[in-house]
Amino acid sequence: MLDEPYRWVEAIRNRREYLEDQLKSASPVVACGYENGLLLLTTTPGQRKLFEIYNQVAFAAIGHPADIEKLRKAIIDIAHVEAFNFSARDVSLQRLVNFGLGPLMKTAFDEIFRSPYIARVLVAELDPRESRETFYTIDADGSFGNTAGAAVLGGTAQSADAALARQRKEVADSSGGDLADIPLEQALQQAMECWAVARLTAAAGEENGEIDAGRIKACIQEMGGGGQRVEAAVLDRSLPKKTKFRLLSAEELETALAPYHP
Amino acid sequence: MDREHPNISGSGDFLSLLREQGHLPQPTPLRSAGAPAVEITEGTTILALRFRDGVMVAGDRRATMGNTVVYDRADKVLSIDDCSIMALSGSPANAYEIARMLEISFQHYRRSQLQEMSLDGKLRTLSRLIRENLPMALQGIGAVVPIYATYEEPRADTYARPVGGTGEGAGKIYFYDVLGAQFESVDFCTTGSGSPIIRGALYYLDRWGSLPLAKMTREESLELILKMLETAAEFDTATGGYKPISRIFPQIMSITASGITNVPEIELELLYQAHLPGGSPEGNSEGKGE
Repeated sequence: MLDEPYRWVEAIRNRREYLEDQLKSASPVVACGYENGLLLLTTTPGQRKLFEIYNQVAFAAIGHPADIEKLRKAIIDIAHVEAFNFSARDVSLQRLVNFGLGPLMKTAFDEIFRSPYIARVLVAELDPRESRETFYTIDADGSFGNTAGAAVLGGTAQSADAALARQRKEVADSSGGDLADIPLEQALQQAMECWAVARLTAAAGEENGEIDAGRIKACIQEMGGGGQRVEAAVLDRSLPKKTKFRLLSAEELETALAPYHP
Repeated sequence: MDREHPNISGSGDFLSLLREQGHLPQPTPLRSAGAPAVEITEGTTILALRFRDGVMVAGDRRATMGNTVVYDRADKVLSIDDCSIMALSGSPANAYEIARMLEISFQHYRRSQLQEMSLDGKLRTLSRLIRENLPMALQGIGAVVPIYATYEEPRADTYARPVGGTGEGAGKIYFYDVLGAQFESVDFCTTGSGSPIIRGALYYLDRWGSLPLAKMTREESLELILKMLETAAEFDTATGGYKPISRIFPQIMSITASGITNVPEIELELLYQAHLPGGSPEGNSEGKGE
């Protein structure tokens, strides 16, 4: 099969379609900055989806749970070996993605006789001193990119773009362009609405309906009824520990997301 | 990562990961017994005491090589995670490496397995690391004998109590021999070249003193530690004393229910002035007129 170039291209195309199909119904993950660091938000039927990788690095993924675990283990191993061989300050997201996760997922994607990682990954890094956050997203084919201020993992590329555009607009409207100044509660609400935009866009598929406040609120309420719960975590610069990662408690989420309850 | 054989057995084991990737130092082959060819930096007094609220761990600051003082501000008491402290006596190079591996092993385990390593697991990891170091120790160039102190909240579902202890506080002290055997100390533990000097004094005070060590308040415990370190410094050249003129203080950390705190130098200075006027025997001449 590989000796015929056309077949190879066709095989890759099939893989892409297969991956799109597997990932399209996943619950989106939204990441954005707030006054003390950065916030990650998604929904889940039960198992955890937001993880700590290193002191200042967090990880989220959509896709097959076993593949997500493999990728999570891979990046944790790389980060800790780096910390051991060099120092804690040498663990950088750019290196973890460029030389770690990116090539790993690309290799798996290229081996067309085996299954690729059925996953899209979002990793975020906090600068412990300065108000600066870095976000990377890595697609199942290993292509990665970083975005400033916010990042979204969506079931489809289109839905992620729509949510990211909305997040940018919200932030610009609410804080005059300063990305880092929103309190946590407000950041949670914005992230929740972005999540709904990504969800609605992915569900709509090709037809591009207008997404208004009413549909967003309905989408968030529907999620609660559908046995899903919100999961959110922060990398908080103000935590007096080496580790800046913290999962938000049910009470914190309850208070912040009260406006969306029926 | 080998995609064919995902590594389940080594999951969460940072040491295996390092060995797999070739980052773990290879045990050096044994030479025939005899005097080590290189002089090794060592010598210390470290001690750990249980007190009312937890555990105090302290160490002097001197590093020696034979008769030479190499360094007077060595840190021999290191925090490993949010509730454990390791104090080092022996060869600092190996001891720091072991402390580093231990710290990263615990972090790696917690993050990859999504749960804290149990106390038994942590103690076992340290034991393995000391065993790895055995060839070096046998050659006489790198023995490490740490004290490991931790605070474990008494849990409702167990009757776990510190051995022989009063049940007040849940501080625990462990020490190791060169081969990696682990022992739990009841109320105090001291190792290093200065330890034989103060061990008897500690036993005497614990048994016949006005108050058992484990019932002392923080201040009483600190005062006792400073006096013990001064005693060790008086008789052991490898243990450094308090030097007011160069502002060198022993290093003391406490672990209590609220976590690890480093006793600040300013507090130690006040304690010295209040309870040990005149400073240390060797600090005396330099410190006159302070």
